[in-house]
Amino acid sequence: MTDQPNWVRLKRTFDAPIDVVWSMWTKPELFQQWYGPMGMSIPTAEMDVTVGGTRKINMQMQTPERTMSMWFIGVFKELNAPNRLVYTESMCDPEGTIISPQSMGMPEGSPDITEVIVELSEDGGKTHMTMVHVGVPAGTAGEGGWNQALDKLVEFANNAA
Amino acid sequence: MNTSDQLDAAFSALSHPTRRAILARLAEGEATVNTLAEPFEMSLPAISKHIRVLEKAGLVKRGRDAQFRPCTLDAQPLEAIAHWTARYRPIWEARFDMMDQILNKLKDVKND
Repeated sequence: MTDQPNWVRLKRTFDAPIDVVWSMWTKPELFQQWYGPMGMSIPTAEMDVTVGGTRKINMQMQTPERTMSMWFIGVFKELNAPNRLVYTESMCDPEGTIISPQSMGMPEGSPDITEVIVELSEDGGKTHMTMVHVGVPAGTAGEGGWNQALDKLVEFANNAA
Repeated sequence: MNTSDQLDAAFSALSHPTRRAILARLAEGEATVNTLAEPFEMSLPAISKHIRVLEKAGLVKRGRDAQFRPCTLDAQPLEAIAHWTARYRPIWEARFDMMDQILNKLKDVKND
């Protein structure tokens, strides 16, 4: 689906070495600091930074009335430090069971699984980053890979239970 | 068709420049197949085929008028696509602004 408009691509250049930008994505204590802007905090970020390893993120938003909590689970599909990382993301409950975006009040057509692809390159002490966030509708050509990822998630959920 | 099938059909319909041009024309108002075919060096059956793809994807509706059956645009599946893309961009922009701030903070700590 990457040749079709179901994705967002952003490019940035950071005034920092490539290893530091890489750790922004792979060290939970750093990831937690930038991933939740706009009133969101990241109280939990678990990352098993290996190919097939699980990542589980809890995002919270405090309002005067209540605390809204959202959980996301996925796996690292590629880790080529410090140049390229790919991970999947799905909404889940606190136990890690995947739930449909629609049941969380997201608009119709929200994909169940999305994939984040980050590419980094260093240029004179600065780091260029390209991030692509792709929605993966069910039944598309890439589903084989997704099923494998889902199998790993199920295994993870079983072990955690 | 479920939602993801519908999105899939919409994406695939949009992947062809002729079909995007047909949609752009229909965005101005309904038109017959003959009118839609005018700008293209294509046979009527070829244009009709593209229109059928758009119809199947839910992007185009045909009128009941037996003789002309004018085509109209149905933008609803397009909105589903635009939503998803438009929703994520500002979120990531804000996140990367924050990443930039943290990277600068880390640098200051190092330089102190």
